[in-house]
Amino acid sequence: MNWDFLVQQVVSGLTLGSMYALIALGYTMVYGILKLLNFAHGEVYMMGAFAGLGVMTALGGPDAPIVPVALMVLVMFLAGMSASAVLAMGLERFAYRRLRNAPRIAPLITALGASFFLQSTALLLFGARRRSYDSAEFIDLRGGIHWGPLNASPTRLLTISTTVTLMVLLTLLVSRTRLGKAMRAVSFDREAAAMMGIDVDRVIVATFAIGGILAGAAGVMFGLVYFSVYHLMGFTAGLKGFTAAVVGGIGNIPGAMLGGLLIGLAESFSAAYVSSTFMDLIVFSILIVVMLARPTGLLGRADIKKV
Amino acid sequence: MKKHYLAALLALVLSLAIAAAGCGGDDEESSGTTGGGTSSGPAQAASCTGSIAAMGPYTGDAASIGQEQLDFTKYAVEKFNEDNGTDFKLEEVDTQLDPAQASTGAQRVVSNDDILGVLGPAGSQEVDAVGPIFTRENLAFISPSATDTKLTESGKYPTFFRDVPNDAAQGPTDAEFIADTLGAKTVWVIDDQSSYSTGLAESTTTALEDAGVTVKRESISQKTTDFSALVSRVKDADVAFLPWQLGSQAQTFGNQLAEQGSDAVIVGSDGLFTEDFSIKDSYVSSFAPDIKGIESSQELVQGYEAEFGKFSSTFGPPAYAATNALLTAIKQACDDAGGSPAREDIVDAMTNVDIEQSILGGPLKFDENGDPEGAKFYIFKVLGKGKYELQS
Amino acid sequence: MTEPTEPQAPKDERAPAAPKVGVDEWVAQYERRRQERAGPFAPLVRVWDLTPRPAWMAAVVLLAVVYGIFATNSGDLRIGINTILFALLALGLNVVVGWAGLLDLGYIAFYGFGAYVYAFVASEKFGVHLPTPAAVGVVIAATALLGLLLGLPSWRLLGDYLAIVTLFFAQIFLVVTTNGNRINVPGHDGPADITGGPNGIPGVDAFGLGSTEAVEVKTYYWIALGAFVLVAAALYLLNDSRTGRAWRALREDPLAAEAMTMPVNRLKLLAFMFGAATAGLTGSIFAAVQIGVFPQNFELFLLITIYAMVILGGAGSIGGVVIGAVTIGVTLEILRDADWGRIIFYVLLVSAVFVIVRPWRHVPWVVAAVVVFGVLLNQIAGAVWPRGVGRTPLGADGPLGGLVDDWVLLPERPGTIGSIAFVLLVLGALALTLSRGWPRVAGAVPLLYLGAFVWENKLIFQPSVTRFLLVGALLVFVMNLRPQGLMGTARVEIV
Repeated sequence: MNWDFLVQQVVSGLTLGSMYALIALGYTMVYGILKLLNFAHGEVYMMGAFAGLGVMTALGGPDAPIVPVALMVLVMFLAGMSASAVLAMGLERFAYRRLRNAPRIAPLITALGASFFLQSTALLLFGARRRSYDSAEFIDLRGGIHWGPLNASPTRLLTISTTVTLMVLLTLLVSRTRLGKAMRAVSFDREAAAMMGIDVDRVIVATFAIGGILAGAAGVMFGLVYFSVYHLMGFTAGLKGFTAAVVGGIGNIPGAMLGGLLIGLAESFSAAYVSSTFMDLIVFSILIVVMLARPTGLLGRADIKKV
Repeated sequence: MKKHYLAALLALVLSLAIAAAGCGGDDEESSGTTGGGTSSGPAQAASCTGSIAAMGPYTGDAASIGQEQLDFTKYAVEKFNEDNGTDFKLEEVDTQLDPAQASTGAQRVVSNDDILGVLGPAGSQEVDAVGPIFTRENLAFISPSATDTKLTESGKYPTFFRDVPNDAAQGPTDAEFIADTLGAKTVWVIDDQSSYSTGLAESTTTALEDAGVTVKRESISQKTTDFSALVSRVKDADVAFLPWQLGSQAQTFGNQLAEQGSDAVIVGSDGLFTEDFSIKDSYVSSFAPDIKGIESSQELVQGYEAEFGKFSSTFGPPAYAATNALLTAIKQACDDAGGSPAREDIVDAMTNVDIEQSILGGPLKFDENGDPEGAKFYIFKVLGKGKYELQS
Repeated sequence: MTEPTEPQAPKDERAPAAPKVGVDEWVAQYERRRQERAGPFAPLVRVWDLTPRPAWMAAVVLLAVVYGIFATNSGDLRIGINTILFALLALGLNVVVGWAGLLDLGYIAFYGFGAYVYAFVASEKFGVHLPTPAAVGVVIAATALLGLLLGLPSWRLLGDYLAIVTLFFAQIFLVVTTNGNRINVPGHDGPADITGGPNGIPGVDAFGLGSTEAVEVKTYYWIALGAFVLVAAALYLLNDSRTGRAWRALREDPLAAEAMTMPVNRLKLLAFMFGAATAGLTGSIFAAVQIGVFPQNFELFLLITIYAMVILGGAGSIGGVVIGAVTIGVTLEILRDADWGRIIFYVLLVSAVFVIVRPWRHVPWVVAAVVVFGVLLNQIAGAVWPRGVGRTPLGADGPLGGLVDDWVLLPERPGTIGSIAFVLLVLGALALTLSRGWPRVAGAVPLLYLGAFVWENKLIFQPSVTRFLLVGALLVFVMNLRPQGLMGTARVEIV
């Protein structure tokens, strides 16, 4: 048993899983509140990554940053998070708000259309070539932790720790604050919450914003760890994040976190032990199996409809 | 109210569309997709006009290669028109190295009667996609970078030519370098699933195994962004041979190799000869020499750089030589036919092309399969972004 | 119901306060209300309502036949073939989504599957060269079978969950075809190449009957048109049959349908199978025309385009769907070419004026204002900063090229400023949707000019990206404006 190899895959899986979990949280929260599958969420993530890249270029680029590296990374994160949050709120206001009571197909198709529009916008503005964060230039990738079989570069450590922090913050937000309580109420029964005096619009906007913040952070992380950002990255990561949300139980926040980690680990392990050719297939098949066996996901509640 | 003005609008658009299609039947069509192509006027009797189409990855991940090929093609068309008093035009068709887009582009090219020949496509998988279409229409096409051996040896595409050697030569050359010069004992050969890559990987693997080297094979896709799992298996090898088409992917791979503390040397094929791949002390092979070192081409180099700026890879010059050959053939067919040549005539003329001194430093002639006679591969060491040192 | 309660007519906020009527009377007055709302277009609406649908379809087919006879350029014919293929796909999707109300986001997988099966049985890939009728028959049967299999999850999964599963089936299809050249089959030496991977399967056989082969593009046009007529006729008959009515019942209220002892599960499977078979047939024609199949032909964008066609036409009506397909299909094809793309763009711009500006008597003023604005701006910029506006537009000798030259600002290096202008345009358009009255009309003038600016400086150079942009924007816009589609009827629930 090659421990080095195994531990390496666990680290890879956790890194990847963190990003998927963050994206999945965005999907799951919006679905919980609006019963809307926000297919454009992947593009929100992608724009966050590009915003981080833009800020980095403005600060001198990977070769010659004009501020200390730590500060630059922090600013990149903030830029990514705010850009994504703004974009998510814009989507809610202009694409989804009028469709809250429309037949099921309308918001779905709108989301797909918005996703395409954003992808094409990125293609138009940034070109089709992959841009590189070139994090190798300003972060020494050979650093980080090297304890026995455990090898983790600084970027991976940053990813995992930031994700844990964000998840803790989110859980606190949802369980301890008034906004969190309002979010839970609205996702339980929107009309009743409105009747109880909760400003449903504000809660929905806040939900989209939080989902955007998380996705933006994931985007910047992706750039730092895997270097290349391009206009289609939102689509592929969005699908995986979406898978994670559904596997964990869509509408369920701990489910999204769990689902993300599971999918990340599954992808890493299948790439390592089976074949990188079919890792996507394995991940998607996990989804299909879970959906057929337990449609509400691993941690989801069975939906009881009154007729 | 709303429903019906929209219906009226639809009717308007529909009728416009039909009118456009009906009237557009005998107008010439512009098939350029990235702009910069001008449609040519009607062919005049007893004078040589017409266009060629250039197909390649002008946007997308391989754009650094495609753009350089396109610039050299434009330069070649300019120079040829200047030197020969002709007025050939150039149409651009962007394929993004994607066979589906190449196929669609090829269909538009064949429906444009002014196009007499095609420069490109760049990738071997694209040649496979457009080959049947061009063969059916007897349209000559010459690629400056598609190296898959089967394209010429199978005889499936009798109108296909190329001015770069094929992978039957690249495999052994690279293998010899890896085994002898680098002295490697274990090598990982990883392909990116394109037909170019798998063909080259096969021929290199065979040659390496013949030389007594241990070879392990793997495969990634052109959409892969995370190589960590693969890297952890590869990191203890001596050499990683990457016959990939996308330099940016190889760059990520190299960075992740360094991240995991590996000392493996990366040897790449011609696809990695681009600014996107700049891992120091790695090697790339190329099907063309660095023409900045060739005396007879200096005037052309200076002319090119004055107009288009500096160039850094070896993809551009073969495009120049190929365009030159194609235009020579078209002019020849034109003169023989006394005016507007047919597409078949140009295919014939191509088989007889005999250029004494091409920009690549030697003569250019095609054998009966469409391969250039006497071409070979060169190995370069990567010193940094765009900086190379010839090894052999 | 134990106690008859007085049913209330649903609120129609635009109609004047009408006397309350009973439900039956309200339903019977439906057409009169439609014509009232149509205003000046009432005669058109009457003609539309009174002509039987098959007459419209026959007219469209006649137009297509005329087109086929007079178009000689193979490029034009290919546009026609692509449009017909789109229409076929839209018809098939209409069966699943419009009639049976099943959210199938994996429809493209059937199309691709059909194309690949044709490539398997009629190319050099496996050395099998079935004659065309047999090959197409195999394709239809295989795709219908796949439709059956994929329809099985629809028994347990409703609404969103079905959409998710079907979407992922489509992704699985893409993954399998893209990676299908490296499958490790036990007992086979080395990896087996089944689908050709990302390089696809080039060189499939042409259609042929007996010893004649279809080589000309025009022959394929007639084949596609023939297939379309057959499928449209079959579906029309199906719509009127018991199955069609059962599907409509299923769509409106699955629970009630089941309570009425309709075999809901079988109906769902039947819908999937019909949709799949149509897509499979279309796939085989596509493969023969393109002389090859590649996985990149079947990506999500195509699905969205087909959905746009179905939605635009109003899901559920054959005629609407076909018109949607023809409109969007032709527009997309024309947008590939810069000259005609420009015409389409300006037509869209003018129609945008109609959408933005109400009431319509203001429209001529707005159009005039935009033109004057542009000319003035051009003059000022020309005097102050000549290098910024000197470029000749792309296709200056094409239609409208000369007009554009004097009206739109054309900086020498349009790249960056074009990008900024694009972002401003999107933001401005969104802001415009929030405003009303005079600010809206006033804001429309510079915004429309900005739209033309972005087109001439950025979009026209990248027709493929522009197509994506337009389809995406169209979908979002139409869905927000009219969720039931342009020609669909609004769902009215009587509570």
